Amino acid sequence: MRSTWVAALATVAVAGGLTYLDASASSSDPGFDPVRSLGFAVPFATVGLLVLGVLVGTSEFSTGNFRSTFVAVPRRLSVLAGQVLAMTVFAALVAVLAVGSSVLAILPSAASRGITPDLGGDGVLRNLIGSVVLLSGTGLVGAALGAWVRRPVAALVAAVGICLVLPMVLVLAADLVTDPLAASAAGGSSAPESPLETFARFTPTGAADSLLWREGGALQGVLVLAGWVVLPLTAAAIRLSRRDLV
Amino acid sequence: MIEVEALTKRYGTTTAVDGVSFTAAAGMVTGFLGPNGAGKSTTMRMIVGLERPTTGRVTVDGQRYADVAAPLRVVGAMLDARSMHPGRTAHRHLLALARTHGIPRSRVEEVLGLTGLESVAGRRVRSFSLGMGQRLGIAAALLGDPGTLILDEPVNGLDPDGVLWVRGLVRDLAAEGRTVFLSSHLMHELALCADRVVVIGQGRVLADATTRQIVERSERAGLVRVRTAEADALLVALADRGADVEVRTDGSLHVRGLSVEEIGSTAARIGAPVLELAAETGSLEEAYLQLTAGSVQYRSGRTLGGEVSR
Repeated sequence: MRSTWVAALATVAVAGGLTYLDASASSSDPGFDPVRSLGFAVPFATVGLLVLGVLVGTSEFSTGNFRSTFVAVPRRLSVLAGQVLAMTVFAALVAVLAVGSSVLAILPSAASRGITPDLGGDGVLRNLIGSVVLLSGTGLVGAALGAWVRRPVAALVAAVGICLVLPMVLVLAADLVTDPLAASAAGGSSAPESPLETFARFTPTGAADSLLWREGGALQGVLVLAGWVVLPLTAAAIRLSRRDLV
Repeated sequence: MIEVEALTKRYGTTTAVDGVSFTAAAGMVTGFLGPNGAGKSTTMRMIVGLERPTTGRVTVDGQRYADVAAPLRVVGAMLDARSMHPGRTAHRHLLALARTHGIPRSRVEEVLGLTGLESVAGRRVRSFSLGMGQRLGIAAALLGDPGTLILDEPVNGLDPDGVLWVRGLVRDLAAEGRTVFLSSHLMHELALCADRVVVIGQGRVLADATTRQIVERSERAGLVRVRTAEADALLVALADRGADVEVRTDGSLHVRGLSVEEIGSTAARIGAPVLELAAETGSLEEAYLQLTAGSVQYRSGRTLGGEVSR
């Protein structure tokens, strides 16, 4: 209960705080554009929502409250559905607040240079919406993993592994197996994508890249992220409906 | 009413509950007695659907628990003192449960009052003592005003005041016509509040009978202790009447096979002054120890008490 609110507040505070620091650090640059700092804190806020999701997803089982819950509501899957619904609303709220605090955080630096940040401009709005979707989705990934694994530490390790470590390993591995001279040998055009890079696009980080305008379409990002919610959620549903609750 | 029929639960190669059958009837307190690991809690969890039986079935008022539309209004269960979120207050825990069944807030206040928790209702469960946790568990069980109550070790961790309160509460609930099914490893506790006792050991029912029947079947039942100035003469006289007499080191005689009246009249006939004459009744404690110690020999399914296991 308390830890949930602490994690939510910390996420919003970190998003605002880091964005503010980044914006003020670069505000003395000649070509300073405050909206460029908007995406700076997103990876950190992602971790916050991941932790938040895991806490919410595991809380019934880490506390023993599941006994009371499932005695009161023996139709177990409806409990899971309710949790997903509540978490969706909650994660979306935290995501909006986190992105909102980032927007507020660039205002002082922008004002110091007399710039009015153009939030409606070239891809900025899309980026903001993408951030909200990414953060909410990440919260749901954490919750789904938590509901499946049930133990907070194990779930957090799995979540961090899937969302942060795996994509990094894939990118590094792709670099290792790719011949750096292949591009020039092909006459300047970019080398064909290696299977590892393709795989990397289907990790949550790949989804983030798609959502934050860098690679592929936003739809692809949404679908990849949804996949990372649905997979552990299905596993959680199967475990919940088939197994005993001890 | 709870009906358990040939209930079996296996975890891999371990059989936790092995063909258990019994009925907890309405209007009485049915005790569930057994040592740790006998399968009491597993059976209770199967009644409320937290665990699925490997074979057999269990119904409450003729329905499977999962099929009951509003379970809290039919069955109130207190299974484990650690069944609540430690970060929630007592009031919020009950309110959350009440919301799942559209139970009004006033009922939450009512059960908090009934269990004596009003003064700590706003405190987080984390700070509760074991006894307070038990009271909150009982409050949650009573929330939906159910016709059947399942209480796993309800007096655990309660102070003497609380023990008396639980004893009175379960008697009152049964007197109102409800089914009360409670487990305990405290034998004397069940002797005081249960009408009927189901004894379980190693997953099997060892006895299913009224509390009185079980007590009477204990080893000491039928034993009469008599102390007299003429021990030797009385010993001979009693032996002549076919009694089984044992001389204790304190000089008293332990007699089996004759009633207090018969022994008294025998002593009067031979003129032996009786200093003390008392029938020893067995305690549930002893009955229980005898039953569970020999649980291996009952593996063939023999039960003590009135009923043969089905």
